[in-house]
Amino acid sequence: MIAFGTSIAEPEAYHRYSRPGIRLAAEADSEVYAFAAVASICRSYNLLLDAAAKRDDLEALAVVHPHTEIVDPQFCAKVREAMRDPEVGVVGCAGASGVHSIAWWEGAVTAAPIVQRYPEFGGGDLPAFDWAQPAAPPAEVDTVAGLLLVLSPWVVRNVRFDEALRMNHGYDLDFCRQVRTGGRKAVVADLRVVNHQSVELVKDINLWIEAHMQLAEKWDTRPADWKQRARRAEAEREAARAVTHANSLAAGARIAALERVVSEVTDSRSWRATRPLRELNRLRQRRRSA
Amino acid sequence: MIAFGAAITKPDVYRRCAEPGLLRAAEPGSAIYAMEGLDSVFRSYNALLDRAAEQADLEALVLVHQDAEILDADVCAKVREALRDPDVGVIGCVGALDVRSIAWWEGSVALASFVHRYDEHGGGDLAAFSFTWADAPPYARTGEVDTVDGFLLALSPWVVRNVRFDESLGRLHGYDFDFCLQVRDAGRKVVTADIRAIHHHSLELVSEPEEWVEAHMRVAEKWDGRIAGVGTAPGDWKARARRAEAERDAVRLRDHSNQLEAAARIQELERILDEATHSISWRMTAPFRRLARAR
Repeated sequence: MIAFGTSIAEPEAYHRYSRPGIRLAAEADSEVYAFAAVASICRSYNLLLDAAAKRDDLEALAVVHPHTEIVDPQFCAKVREAMRDPEVGVVGCAGASGVHSIAWWEGAVTAAPIVQRYPEFGGGDLPAFDWAQPAAPPAEVDTVAGLLLVLSPWVVRNVRFDEALRMNHGYDLDFCRQVRTGGRKAVVADLRVVNHQSVELVKDINLWIEAHMQLAEKWDTRPADWKQRARRAEAEREAARAVTHANSLAAGARIAALERVVSEVTDSRSWRATRPLRELNRLRQRRRSA
Repeated sequence: MIAFGAAITKPDVYRRCAEPGLLRAAEPGSAIYAMEGLDSVFRSYNALLDRAAEQADLEALVLVHQDAEILDADVCAKVREALRDPDVGVIGCVGALDVRSIAWWEGSVALASFVHRYDEHGGGDLAAFSFTWADAPPYARTGEVDTVDGFLLALSPWVVRNVRFDESLGRLHGYDFDFCLQVRDAGRKVVTADIRAIHHHSLELVSEPEEWVEAHMRVAEKWDGRIAGVGTAPGDWKARARRAEAERDAVRLRDHSNQLEAAARIQELERILDEATHSISWRMTAPFRRLARAR
């Protein structure tokens, strides 16, 4: 039996995104664990694992982020296919190898064709992780993204999210590292989902920075020339700021050029002269749809 | 005599950008050293300093990038005015306070009297904050700063004869900040003056990030402990490394976020444009627009 679990912090997101996806993907005998969120993501997810661990017939537990909508009718078949390898512990829809920090997307990314659906600017879809130029799955990776974590029965019974990580960032990387330390694999499979997320990827960047440092302290035990590392990182940080600024300038210039073209159309005499016709047409359409 | 100098690696760029500005700014007696660029900015500028240093009547040497165009015809008067203070060694039109690395723009920028003119996306101008005084923010002011941007540097005769760009630092980056630190270390001042210019530059600000990173590290190592704030940060080396690595990745994440936001805005504009140009009214009125264009 493939079970599904989701932790509900925002009921609306559950109703709109994760629940329809789970309904699409679940099989007749699938158990669905939809629990209210407690304290942190790690503690909430452990609750899901504890519940699923009690099932003797568990084939896998799909932990679905509340903003993730599964849109793959073949979901369970694909999960079983990925789990045919008994060493697989975690299956995701996106992930990366060569990962050194919670910024896993700085590694070599593999991702299914995930859609990022954003509400800003009238709403729209963009290919998720496009900026990381992802390779197509399948692939074994260091970590998978927390959007969707499909866990093997062994993992459900033997690994837990680290509740000492209280900042809700990097829990996916930490969990995958534990799984891999336990001798199991993390893989990306072609699992289709829509990620309903703002274009603002992280709301509180300072919290994310703290989480980055906390995870680094936990896992990065390599001996290092700390002075050299500090010098390099401080330089790279400022180079990254300059690159970010330049990218913003370039994006701003492209948007300004496009706004000019739009203005040329919408400020033209012919566009203004035909406005009553368009308004009439809209009114007619509204009446028809009413 | 106020001399002018430029190191030229792209003659067409020099002719289009720097040369008109130099001809505008130079006085009848001014020397203009339009020199072929050597393998580094540091070396090229030192060669220009060596040439200017030979001039017994030198009042100042103004160095401009080949893509920098001086707009003011009265630059010489402004340079002379700034050099009335005998302690002034370097004058620029963009400068900042509390600068701690070659990323001088991370400091408190006090003056930025230039326009960034780019060619991409149909071209355009980005006026820096004090290009037009009427629109300038309250912190815009001329006067003493920690460093100035190297695209325009006016140097006193003492500096021309006694300070050199440090060729051990690299080829391209950080030469301006290091030079200003040397000048300040020697007891002279770095100041900004109300000189206006156009910097004809791509929107890509750091073309070779790895080289920039190396220069940043060398300059930090060189000045750590010698000039307050440069090359230092709170915490031991391990804590500094951890924090900087996290902040670096956070900046990159912000960049991805910005790119997504831009892509979403572009998608919205394209949708508006598509809806407009495919509407019946737009298609109906196409003959009128064609007629208007023909006239």
